[in-house]
Amino acid sequence: MADETAAAAPPHDSRREAIAFFIGVAGWLVPGLGHALLKMWGRAVMCFVTVGLLVILGAGMRGNVFSSSGNDAFDTLGFLADLGTGTFYLAARSLEINGADVSHAGGDYGTRFLATAGVLNLLAALHAYEAARGRKA
Amino acid sequence: MNAGMGFKLSHWQSLVLFAVLISIAFGFLSRRRPIDRVKYIVWSLFLFLLIGVGIGWAMYPFSH
Repeated sequence: MADETAAAAPPHDSRREAIAFFIGVAGWLVPGLGHALLKMWGRAVMCFVTVGLLVILGAGMRGNVFSSSGNDAFDTLGFLADLGTGTFYLAARSLEINGADVSHAGGDYGTRFLATAGVLNLLAALHAYEAARGRKA
Repeated sequence: MNAGMGFKLSHWQSLVLFAVLISIAFGFLSRRRPIDRVKYIVWSLFLFLLIGVGIGWAMYPFSH
């Protein structure tokens, strides 16, 4: 019965889902791109600027940009959060040529800025995905 | 730009910068009309700063 229901679903629904998924992934890879594809220009610019500023500030304050070779669960969580910035993760790594320095408060703040940039971008990508599905805007 | 140019920000400057950026992002994501966004951003920023300073003072006795 469930299979019949699925088979009877309009084909444009699966196409819409695929497009929404593509928009979500695009929004994750390049902050703001998901909203830009939906022509939500204000939100697109806001995502790009805020995530970009958080990454630049975080790296400039010598926050910790976690890598995949973490020693414990917190490192792994930090890596996943940092990875949320998409391609900006690579920018953060290239900006921090002298490495992290969390021996002072600035470096600690920088680590939080970078993690927040990633989580914020994931939230924005999810928002773009939901908007593309027509659930909210 | 590189880390050699590193930003030197105080606790307060970092807190304000963080609060401003996140409030703007939340305002744009969660509200549609400009006036609603402004209200949300101002209110969110106020709460960020209030709670941040509040937690700072709550921790003050433990630093002495």
